[in-house]
Amino acid sequence: MRWRFLVRRLAMLLVSLLVASFVIFGALYLAPGNPISALSGGRALPPASLRVLEQRYHLNQPFLAQYWYWLENALHGNFGISITLQENVSSVIAARMWTTGGLVLYASLIIVVVGIGSGVLAALRPGLADTSVLVSTAITAAVPSFVAAIVLILVFSVKLGWFPALGNGTSLWSNVQHLTLPAVALAVSSLAIVARVTRAAVREEADREHVQTAISRGIPARQLIRRHILRNAAIPITTVSGITIASLIAVAAVVETAFSLNGLGAYLVQAAESKDLAVVQGISLVLVTAFVVINAIVDVLYAVLDPRVALGSRAQ
Amino acid sequence: MSPRRRTSAAAASLAACALLAAACGRSVNASTASSQVSPTKGLVTTTTAGTKPVSSVTWAVYRPVNSLDPIFAFDYPENTAISLMCESLLLQQPDGAIVPGLATVATPGPTSMVLTLRRGAKFWDGDPVTPADVVYSLDRQMDPSYGGFYGQVFNRVKSIAATGSNQVTITLSKPDYWLEGELSSMPGIIIQKSYALKEGKNYGTPAGGIMCTGPYEFKSWTAGAGVTAVANPHYWNPAVKPLVKQIIIKGVPSAASFTSGMLTHAIQGSYYFGLSNLSELEHSSAVKVYQGPGESTDAFIISTTTGPLANVKVRQALSLALDRQAIISQVYDGAALMPRWLANPGTFGYGQSVFTAAYDRSPVLNQDLAEARKLARQAGVNGQTITIGTSSELSSIAAETGAYQQAAEAIGLKVVLKSVSASDYINFFTSAQARQGIDGFITVNYGDYADPAALLATLALPGGDQNYDNFSNPQMTALLDQAEGTASPDQRAALVAKAEELAAKLLPWIPDVQPTNVLMLSKGLTGAVASFSYMFAPWADALGGTS
Repeated sequence: MRWRFLVRRLAMLLVSLLVASFVIFGALYLAPGNPISALSGGRALPPASLRVLEQRYHLNQPFLAQYWYWLENALHGNFGISITLQENVSSVIAARMWTTGGLVLYASLIIVVVGIGSGVLAALRPGLADTSVLVSTAITAAVPSFVAAIVLILVFSVKLGWFPALGNGTSLWSNVQHLTLPAVALAVSSLAIVARVTRAAVREEADREHVQTAISRGIPARQLIRRHILRNAAIPITTVSGITIASLIAVAAVVETAFSLNGLGAYLVQAAESKDLAVVQGISLVLVTAFVVINAIVDVLYAVLDPRVALGSRAQ
Repeated sequence: MSPRRRTSAAAASLAACALLAAACGRSVNASTASSQVSPTKGLVTTTTAGTKPVSSVTWAVYRPVNSLDPIFAFDYPENTAISLMCESLLLQQPDGAIVPGLATVATPGPTSMVLTLRRGAKFWDGDPVTPADVVYSLDRQMDPSYGGFYGQVFNRVKSIAATGSNQVTITLSKPDYWLEGELSSMPGIIIQKSYALKEGKNYGTPAGGIMCTGPYEFKSWTAGAGVTAVANPHYWNPAVKPLVKQIIIKGVPSAASFTSGMLTHAIQGSYYFGLSNLSELEHSSAVKVYQGPGESTDAFIISTTTGPLANVKVRQALSLALDRQAIISQVYDGAALMPRWLANPGTFGYGQSVFTAAYDRSPVLNQDLAEARKLARQAGVNGQTITIGTSSELSSIAAETGAYQQAAEAIGLKVVLKSVSASDYINFFTSAQARQGIDGFITVNYGDYADPAALLATLALPGGDQNYDNFSNPQMTALLDQAEGTASPDQRAALVAKAEELAAKLLPWIPDVQPTNVLMLSKGLTGAVASFSYMFAPWADALGGTS
C-alpha cells in the first residue's frame, strides 16, 4: 500500500515536471525579447559578437532542438548555465534555496501556530476573543503581502528599528531576525483564511450530535476538545493549511523582492525578464517539486488523522 | 563610433515609489535649489576625503551584478563594481578630465598612440603589469569571438603591439581622438593575461573571479550576498590608501526597499538614480545626499522617418510645448537640470571653457506655448496623430510620456500610446520591428566618457547605432568627423559645441532634462566621488569615516 502510494506519487511528480518544463520552455520561447539583448542592455552588438553569443547558448537552433538539448542535459544532472550570470544553474539555485525554504517554513509555522490557534480560540470562546479574531482576520485577509511588507518595514524597521529592513543574515540568529518581517508579511493574509476555516470547522464539529452526547456523558472538556472536536475538524484544517502553504511558494517572490532577499522567487522573476531560460526552468522545477511534495505530505496526513481515509485516496 | 547604453531596463527599478505613503510625499521646496541651469552651480564632483578607517560598507546598486568582465560591462551595477576594483589605461577624474591611469599616453603622429606603463603598476597578486597584459586586454575587447560589447570602439584601430618593455603602440587607420576617452573607460580596463587565460570563459563570473590592479581587491562573489571587495594593502600607487576594509556591492531592486535600507543603515551608500522620493532621504538625518555633475541625458528619441515628427518644425514645436520643470520635480524630485543642449553639461571633460562659454550662449529650452503653436500651425499638422512607445509599468517613463502627450495635444496633435511591459521596453532600442509605427519614445542615455560627442555621434551621424530616424545632416556629419580627427582639445570642443548647437535646433532627439548624479552616503561616511565618472573610474579611493 505504502509503496504503491510512493511510486504513484513519484510517477506523478515526474510527469508534472516533464509537462511543466515543456510548457515553461515553450512559453518563454514564444515571449518577445531575447536573452542577448537583455544581456547587452539593448545596445546593438556587432554581428560577429551576436553570432558567437547565439552559438554559445544554442539560441540559433529551432525550438524543439533547444528543448531537447536542455532536457538531455537535465537528465544528466546538468541544468545549464545562466546566460546573465555565467554561473551553473544548480549553484544559482543552491545559493538561494535556503532563503526561500526558510522563509516559507517560517511563514508556515506562523500560519499553523497563530492561524489554527486563533481559529480554535475563536470557536471555543465566543464573545470578546471570537469577535477580536473575526475583526482582525477580516482586516488581514484583505492585506496583500506586498502591502504588508511595506507597512511592516515602515513601522518595525524604519520607525522602531527592531528588525532589519532588507537582506539576509549571516548567522542562524541573524537569519531569523532578517526573515521575521518577511515571514509575517507572507503569512498574514493566509493566516486569516486558515483561522476562519479552523473556526468554522471547530464550530461545526462542536455542534455535532456525538459531541453533545459526549458532553452529556460528562467527558472532561479537555478530552472532549482534543478527541471529539479537534480530531474531526482536522481534515478541513489540514486541507486549507496545505493549500495555503503550497501557494506561499509562489507568493514568496513578491515578499523576497520587497525585502531584497535573495530567494528563488525574486530571482525567477528577474530571470524571466531577461529570458534566462535555463534559470527559469531550473527554479520552476524546484518550485513544482516542492508543490507536489507538500501535497503528498497533506495526503499522508489525511491517512494519519483519519484511519478511514486510505493512503492515496482523497479525503471525503 | 562608440556604442552607447541606455537605462530602459534599469528604469524598471525606479518604477516603484510603491505605497510607502510617507515616502511618496513630495516636499514643496525640494526642487527649487537644483533646477538651476548653470552647468556646475550647486553640484559637487567629489566629497570631503574620509579620514577614519571603516570596517565594512554595503553599497547598493539597482540589481545584482551580472558580470565583472569589462567586455560585458554595460550597465550601472557592472560598471560600479568594476570601476571600484579595476583600472584602465587612462583615468577619468571626477570633473571628467582624462589623466594618466595605468599608463601615460603620447601621440607622436595623428595615427599613432604610444602608451607607456606607469612604473610599479602591479596586479593584486604582485605581478607587474606588462605590455602583454595590455595587448591581451585590448585584443579581448576587439575580438568578436569573445562576444564583447565594445568592439566598435576600436574601428579605427589598425594594430596594437608591444613596442618595448613597458610600451604599447596603437596604430590607427585614421586619426581618432575619441579613443583616449574610451581607453579611460570600460574598453581600457586592464586585466591579467595569465589569469584570464587560466580561467577562460569563467573569467569575470562567480566561478572564476577577476585579476586587476585597483586599490580594492576582489574577494568573493556569492549569488545573493553580492560582490565583496577588500582593501588592497599592497596597492601600487602610494598616493591612495584605501580606508574601508570591505565594500559589498549589493543588488537592491526595489526603490522602496532601498530607501528603507538607507534610512536604517542597512545600506551605507549608493548612486541609486531616479528616486521619486529623494527628498525623504534628503531630509533624513541618517543620510547625506549629494548631487554631482551627471553625464546622462533624458531625451525623447525620434524613431520615425515619416509623419509629423519627421518635420523639424513639429519637433521644435513639441520641444517648446514640453513642461520640463514638471518632469524635473515629479520624476526626478529635483535631481535634474533644465537643458540647453542634448548633452548633459557634466560631459564637458575637456575644453571646458570653450564648452561652457558656448553652452551659456545657447538658450534654455523653456516652455513657450504660443511660439510652439505658431510653429505647429506653420507646419500644418493640426489633427494629425503621433504614436509614442511607452510602458505603464515604468512610472518614470509613463510620467514623461504623459508630459509629451500633453505637449503634443497642446500643439494640435493627437497622441496614441503604445504601452509595452517593462521588460519589453528594451525592444524599442533593439528591434526595428518593435519600432514599427512608433514615432518616438523616452530614454535615459549616456556615453562612455565625458564628451558631448560620445552620445551625439550615435544618433546624429548616418549609421549611428541609435540613429533610429535616419537623421543625416551634412554640416553635422562634417563637424563630428572633423572633431574626431582634431588633436587640440579646445578646437575639438569648439567643433563639438557647434554640433550640439545644431542638434539643439534640428532636434534629432528632443532633450528632456539633464539628470544630475545623485550620491547618497550614510551619516559618518564621506569621500566617494560625486560625479558620473564613478561609472568609469575608481570612486572609493578616498571613501572613509568622518572624524
